[in-house]
Amino acid sequence: MGAPFDYTYIFSYFPKLLSTLGITLLIVAGSLLVGIIIGFLIALPRLYRIPVLNTLARVYVSFFRGTPILIQLFLFYYGLPEILKLVHIDISKAPVLVFVILTYGLHTGAFMSETIRASVTAVDRGQVEAAYAMGMKGHQAFTRIVLPQALAIAVPVFSNLVIALLKDTSLAFTLGVMEMTGKAETLGALTQHFVEAYISLALIYLVVSFTLEKLLLMAERRLLRHEQPDSTGNRRFRLQRKRGYRRLVAGIESGKGGAEA
Amino acid sequence: MIKLTHISKSFGRHQVLKQIDLTVEKGEVVVILGPSGSGKTTLLRCVNYLEKPSDGEIAIGDYRLSCKHASKKDIHQLRQKSAMVFQQYNLFKHKTALENVMEGLVVVKKLPKEEAKTRSIALLEKVGLGSKLDAYPSQLSGGQQQRVGIARALALEPEVILFDEPTSALDPELVGEVLAVIRKIAKEGITMIVVTHEMGFARDVANHVVFMDGGVIVEEGPPAELFNHPKEERTKQFLKRITPELNYSI
Repeated sequence: MGAPFDYTYIFSYFPKLLSTLGITLLIVAGSLLVGIIIGFLIALPRLYRIPVLNTLARVYVSFFRGTPILIQLFLFYYGLPEILKLVHIDISKAPVLVFVILTYGLHTGAFMSETIRASVTAVDRGQVEAAYAMGMKGHQAFTRIVLPQALAIAVPVFSNLVIALLKDTSLAFTLGVMEMTGKAETLGALTQHFVEAYISLALIYLVVSFTLEKLLLMAERRLLRHEQPDSTGNRRFRLQRKRGYRRLVAGIESGKGGAEA
Repeated sequence: MIKLTHISKSFGRHQVLKQIDLTVEKGEVVVILGPSGSGKTTLLRCVNYLEKPSDGEIAIGDYRLSCKHASKKDIHQLRQKSAMVFQQYNLFKHKTALENVMEGLVVVKKLPKEEAKTRSIALLEKVGLGSKLDAYPSQLSGGQQQRVGIARALALEPEVILFDEPTSALDPELVGEVLAVIRKIAKEGITMIVVTHEMGFARDVANHVVFMDGGVIVEEGPPAELFNHPKEERTKQFLKRITPELNYSI
C-alpha cells in the first residue's frame, strides 16, 4: 500500500506527531483523574460492604472490565446523547474530547477500584487495630495509617494501568479525535507513507511509556522506603535509584534527539 | 481503677467469655494466665473494644460503658483511656520509631509537634532506643520493635496499658530486654493488665494473678499464693505442666 518505504519520513513525522502528544497526555491525565475519583467511589462500598451499593459497584466493574474499550467509546459517544435526548438534555454539541475522557475515565475507574480494594485489603489488620487502640477515629486510621501503606502496595499495578491507558487512548481516533494515532493516520493518508508514520508513532509511544514507567518506579521506591531491612540495603537502594535516574535521563534524551532530527 | 462486670463474649454459638468480673486497682500489675483458648486474650481485647463484648460493663477511671448500647462515640472515648502492646508489635510500618511514638500524641492528644517530639524522644531513650529514632520498624529487631511499641503505649499516658502476650513472638534471647522494660515501668506504678506465658515474670512482677480456663476465671490471688498453694484442681494441673520450666536456673 502507498508509496515506497523512505526512512527519512520517520524523522520528519516526529515533530508533527509530537504536536499532538499534548492531546494524548490530556486524555491520559483527564481519565486518570476521573478514574481515581470513580475508583474510590466504587471501592468504598465494596470495602465496607454497603448493601445495595456493593452490588451496583460489582455490576459496574463487570461491565467495564468485560466489554472492549472500543465498544464503550461507541456506546458513550453515540448512545449517551440519544438516551439523554429522551429526558430532554441535549449534549450532542459537547466536544468529542469530553466523551473520550469520560469513557476512559469510567473504564480506568473500574480497574482502579479493584486495585484500591485489593491494596487496602492487603494492609495488615494489626495496623488498624493499633490505630484504634491508641484512640484514633475511623477516618484518621484510614487516611493516616491504611491509605499510605495501601498506596505503596498499589503503585506497581497503578503503573500498569497508566501505561495501558496511554496505549488505549490510541483508539480515540475512531471518534475523530486528533491525538497522536489520529494524526499518524492523517499523515499516512496524506503522503501515502503509512508504515513510516506508524514506526514514528510506535517510537514515541515507546519513549513516553518508558518515561512514565520510570517515574512511577521512582514513586514506588519512595513510598516503599520503609521496607529496607538495614543500612547496607539502604545504601544499595540509593545506588540503584541513582542508576535508575541516569537511565531515565538517558531515556528522555534519546526521545528529544528523535524529535529534533 | 478498672472494673469489668459480667463481661460475656460469643463467637457465633461458641461462648468465649462467661460473665467475667475483674477489678484492677490503680498502679496494680495484673497478669492473666491460662491455656490457649481460655479466653484471656479475648478478655484483654474487650477492655479496649477491639472485640465487642456481647454483654457486661466496662469502667476505666471515671468512665463507664455498658456494652449492650455502646455508641461509636462511647467506644472512641473508652479507647482513649487505655493503650495496647501487641503480640505482633503492630508498629506503623511506614513510620519511623519516633513517628510511631509521636503519632498518638499529635493525632489523638492534639499536642503541638515540637512538644510531642521532645516527649517521644525522652520515652524512646527510656526504653533504650535513643539511637534508633529514625529507624523504620523493618530495620529493627523484634525486641527493639516491641520496646518502641511500649514507648508508643506509654506516650499516651493511659489509665492502663494492656499487654497482649508481648514476648510470645520474640526470639528467646530477645525476651529478656522486653521484660526488663516492662518491669521498669511496672515499678513506676503504671497500671497494667498482662497476658503472658512468662511464669517467672508473673511471679516477680505481678501484684495479682488471674488464672482463666474455658471462658471463666478459675482462680485469682497474689502470685505467691496462686503459684505455691493453688486451690483449684484445674490450676494445679496447669501449673504442673508449666512449672518445670521454672526450675531451670541458668
